[in-house]
Amino acid sequence: MSELQKSGIFAPQVIEEIQAKAESGLYSIRGFGTLRERRWPTFDDLTFLPCSLTRIPLEGYREKCSTKTVLGTRFAKQPIALDIPVMITGMSWGALSYNAKVALAKGAAAAGSSNTTGDGGMLQAERENSRTLIYEVLPSRYGINIHHMRVADAIELTIGQGAKPGTGGLLLGSKVSDRIAEQRDLPLGVDQRSPARHPDFLGPDDMIIKVEELREATDWQVPIFIKLGATRVYDDVKLAAKAGADVIVVDGMEGGTGASPAIFQEHTGLPTLAAVSEARCALEDIGLYGTVQLIIAGGIRDGADAAKAMALGADACYIGTAALIALNCNKPIYEEDYRAIGAAPHACHHCHTGRCPVGITTQDPDLMKRLDVEQGAERVRNLLQVMTSEIQMLARACGKSDVHHLEPEDMAALTLEASAICGIPLVGTRKVFRH
Amino acid sequence: MAEIDAAGRSTRELNSAIRRLIAESSKEITVRNPGARHNLAVAILDEVHILVGGSVGYYCGGLIDGASIEIEGSAGWGVAESMLSGTVRVHGNVGSGAAAAIRGGTVVIHGDAAARLGVSMKGGTVIVAGNCGYMAGFMAQKGTLIVCGDAGEAFADSMYATTCYVGGKIANLGTDAVLAPLDSSEAEQLEQTLTCYLPPSLRGAKPAAADFKKVVAGRKLWNFDKRDWRIWQEAL
Repeated sequence: MSELQKSGIFAPQVIEEIQAKAESGLYSIRGFGTLRERRWPTFDDLTFLPCSLTRIPLEGYREKCSTKTVLGTRFAKQPIALDIPVMITGMSWGALSYNAKVALAKGAAAAGSSNTTGDGGMLQAERENSRTLIYEVLPSRYGINIHHMRVADAIELTIGQGAKPGTGGLLLGSKVSDRIAEQRDLPLGVDQRSPARHPDFLGPDDMIIKVEELREATDWQVPIFIKLGATRVYDDVKLAAKAGADVIVVDGMEGGTGASPAIFQEHTGLPTLAAVSEARCALEDIGLYGTVQLIIAGGIRDGADAAKAMALGADACYIGTAALIALNCNKPIYEEDYRAIGAAPHACHHCHTGRCPVGITTQDPDLMKRLDVEQGAERVRNLLQVMTSEIQMLARACGKSDVHHLEPEDMAALTLEASAICGIPLVGTRKVFRH
Repeated sequence: MAEIDAAGRSTRELNSAIRRLIAESSKEITVRNPGARHNLAVAILDEVHILVGGSVGYYCGGLIDGASIEIEGSAGWGVAESMLSGTVRVHGNVGSGAAAAIRGGTVVIHGDAAARLGVSMKGGTVIVAGNCGYMAGFMAQKGTLIVCGDAGEAFADSMYATTCYVGGKIANLGTDAVLAPLDSSEAEQLEQTLTCYLPPSLRGAKPAAADFKKVVAGRKLWNFDKRDWRIWQEAL
């Protein structure tokens, strides 16, 4: 046994974290999302079972596999119709640069998808470049504007976020620039804390009234989404459905953030895999599965993740971090600037600093210029289209003429945990290990 | 003046009727028998005066821009929430979260306000002739909050740049709330505001503007600082 053996409990990273807290007197705040090694059940623990003899696959390039996605059919007069089931989640102008917000809007529009405003209100350029824009109503109500709400295609009432359920957002002073301070009605350069709760309602009973208000404000035209951070998903989804949601968004613990305490990112919430399973179960148990649409978010990386989420019951998926990566997040360019903020390409989670080397999570005009809007939009469009193609490939291989026809039976579980969570058989068995 | 009888009609029908009258160029609309219904007259974006002849539930006058809403009774939670401009006047009392997140306009309450008056307000002016409950002004960002009577506990907690004035007693100040001197020009402006918005019968009974206490943020929560650990312990 070497005397140089390191502790498994007080590993080098733990020692560094403790000493950083002791030095600074502050808890760690950062962006990006959980950095933990993935030891919890994920979509990687599922595998598709494409057709062989018992089912007939569709030809990849010859036979139709629809990706059209309609959301908000329960009460809204004008449900939103998207060409694809992969959407861009809400990320604020403030956390993101102007160029990033516009690039996301243009990219989503070019792919026939939607984008969402975020915790800082709507940018006019965002509306102008969106095909389908979802307007988020968050606890902070930063930038709340009825005129913006009334030109949106859907309203998303956000209760929580997967990366930090139960707490509000943060925008550190380096990002509260002139324009952001004006948009959010804040003093310049403050470390902005968002409230954890909405200012004018508390529980699910009051939320019923709030949903009615949003419907009255938008003349019952557009769908009302309710977004939940994944915690007590089974109960929360039922309550959101009772409150009158057309669409419920569940954001798993793998979801991203522009800035929040690291301890929330690492130690709160349910994995996205568990979230989608609980959400479907809840809607089925109240007879609203298929009536209330379900969107799943949180660490969705590619078409396989999205297809598995859809097979488990989601009507569509949100992507956030993956879309930023398409914009060059963590790309090995401007490496000096990564180093200057204590990061490196592929290991940058320094969105909170406002010094994003690739111009995405910054308000610095010079850094922002590094993100070319047109090129960024094209990459976002490409990613959305490729992810959709991947979903279609898997769906066709499973014999489905519509990506929404994917079902749990199209998959097997690679681990006992995934079998128990998803209610699908463990590979090598015909058993469902369900509680 | 156009009149709508709310008795037996749904919120949807009533708001549709209000919008229809506005589209027909009505500038004065009276809603009779509101029956404490929620969500009356929300998101009205025209310069119209709507008189509600009784009490209302949640969110009356919420999300308006430019309208004038007058409620002859009391109002439930979130009256005038997120308004951009206009006036909301309540002759009675209001529930929690009155004027929450307003970005402009004026909210005048003749009676008392419950908890979290002006929470997260981002502009505008809120005037309460009576008393207010706990945590008024919580996380308020801009604008002016005036309470002529007494203020409840944790007043003006965790604020950014809202200015508060209290004519009566303050049960206690919230985290980072501090008393600030009220100079003569401010007192004069305050007096003008009160005289402008409160009827003489209410204004006459209240302290002179110069006797109001001014409360602002101490700015210790504006930026993280490890030396303020205890204040953050309480704030978070």
